[in-house]
Amino acid sequence: MPEVDVECECTGTVWKIVSEVGQVVVEEDDLLILESMKMEVPVCAPCDGVVKMIKVAEGAAVSEGDIVVVMEEE
Amino acid sequence: MSHIAPGWLPELEARRTAGLKMGGAEAIARQAEMGKKTARERLDYLLDEHSFTELGRMTGKGEYDESGHLTDFQPANAIMGTGRINAARVCISADDYTIRAGSSEATNADKWIYAERMALAYRMPLVRLVDSAGGSVKLLQKMQATKIPEYTNWPSAELLDTVPVVGVAMGACAGLGALKVLSSHFSVMVRDTSQVFAAGPPVVKQAYGIDIHKNELGGYKVHRKNGLVQNEAVDEEDALSQVQRFLSYLPRNIHRLPPVTATEDSPDRVEDWLKEAIPENSRKIYNPRKILQAILDLGSLFEIGRFYGGSVITCLARLNGYPVGVIANDPKVGGGAMNNAAALKMERFSKLCDQFHFPVINFVDQPGNATGPMAELNGTLLGAVRLGEALARCRSPWVSIIIRRCFGLAGALHGPKESGALNHRFAWPTARWGSIPIEGGVMAAHKQEINAADDPAARRLEIEEFYHNLASPFRTAERFGILDVIDPRETRSLLCDWIEDAWEVIETDMQRQPK
Repeated sequence: MPEVDVECECTGTVWKIVSEVGQVVVEEDDLLILESMKMEVPVCAPCDGVVKMIKVAEGAAVSEGDIVVVMEEE
Repeated sequence: MSHIAPGWLPELEARRTAGLKMGGAEAIARQAEMGKKTARERLDYLLDEHSFTELGRMTGKGEYDESGHLTDFQPANAIMGTGRINAARVCISADDYTIRAGSSEATNADKWIYAERMALAYRMPLVRLVDSAGGSVKLLQKMQATKIPEYTNWPSAELLDTVPVVGVAMGACAGLGALKVLSSHFSVMVRDTSQVFAAGPPVVKQAYGIDIHKNELGGYKVHRKNGLVQNEAVDEEDALSQVQRFLSYLPRNIHRLPPVTATEDSPDRVEDWLKEAIPENSRKIYNPRKILQAILDLGSLFEIGRFYGGSVITCLARLNGYPVGVIANDPKVGGGAMNNAAALKMERFSKLCDQFHFPVINFVDQPGNATGPMAELNGTLLGAVRLGEALARCRSPWVSIIIRRCFGLAGALHGPKESGALNHRFAWPTARWGSIPIEGGVMAAHKQEINAADDPAARRLEIEEFYHNLASPFRTAERFGILDVIDPRETRSLLCDWIEDAWEVIETDMQRQPK
């Protein structure tokens, strides 16, 4: 199963992590929620699969294009 | 009347039959193994039944015996002709991959270019089903010389100015094949089995020494990020259905109006949940596509560019049967901020609406342009400037419904305002606007006062609260800064009234100023 890097689409801080390593997710599921532009902006699963690695902690500053989660595509 | 068949009939029939054989049984089987339809199967699926009139079907390479009789025939790998999609006439070309991988240099270029010239001359939509490996080095052997690669009689720009052009990536589309997909008003590629690139992996390997899979190089996931190809399809049938759907909204050419259809959806349909569609908590997002479905005619939304520039949504749709262009913002993507990809998408879409006479409705919720180091590095403001120019030139009747935020550049970039454009717009009660969002603005303008306070954080909140009270859209309406603040549930009926007037503009402009 190929690994998929999940990037965040905007700059902000990690507000809440709402998935965990090993979790089975479907496309569009929320993986973590950023605070950006004063809003809660979710980072979603780009495909069905399993969360393999969460590369950021709550409160971390992230930039557009940063890889925040690694998934294993189903 | 003679009952004896004329002498030319066997040869005519033999040549017609030979023209249908494509690359032969083996090559056709290989195409099926790759999960791909043949060029002729694609034409069958896309066009109305029995509507295809093939042109140039005898083009190819004949082999003859010593006495000059035809012994074998290999058809050209470009198939073209005219047909109908939803009863409307189209010009169409399809690359036949089973012959020399659809190579553009293993064909008779005059043939596919004729389809393009014919679409222009007869002012009918053009569809290109592209499946072409691009240039071929074997051309050198055939020509015994090289040529400067160009097609001087290909009217590619004039076509874009005159008729709807659709490019479909049905396989590897390299070089010229890629241009045929991209030089279009609507492009779609099939996931996994199609690629679009300047050159494929073997050329890249020679140039840079890297091994890369064709999907990593030019597959749909690459073009999701750059917006090169607008739509993606789960399979070939989906891609062809999207072509049918796109063309169902378009006129035959710029001199005609897009078709108005009958609808059973009442202009007075009201979806009650719209009153709470926008969360009161300004940190919470919502699903803009669900709002569009509640307001536009049921089942009429056709989205273009779903996967790139996601903070802007662009769709063709219908309102009381009239064709319209619909724009909305998606707060889920980058908070709805305008970045380069979103600006490119909206620029292209407003040009499409202007060119083919679609009135436009924009559901505005934009915090402004994307900010931050990455946005500046990407030159995001250039996208905004280009969009501003496109909007200023757009003559489509345009109405904006500000449903939530309209800050900073969003104020300038949500609709045409120059040259007497009316700047017609309404707001939902959840709307907020300003040159700068209150939170950031307070810190910028009251920095000294806040820092000098005993409790700076509390003082900051106090000042913010003061400004938030001033920011109600009702106060703007008092000064006629907005036409009206409406109940979201009234939106559909208001727009259905508007579209009647907008259509009058479209119709009379067409009569007054033929392009």
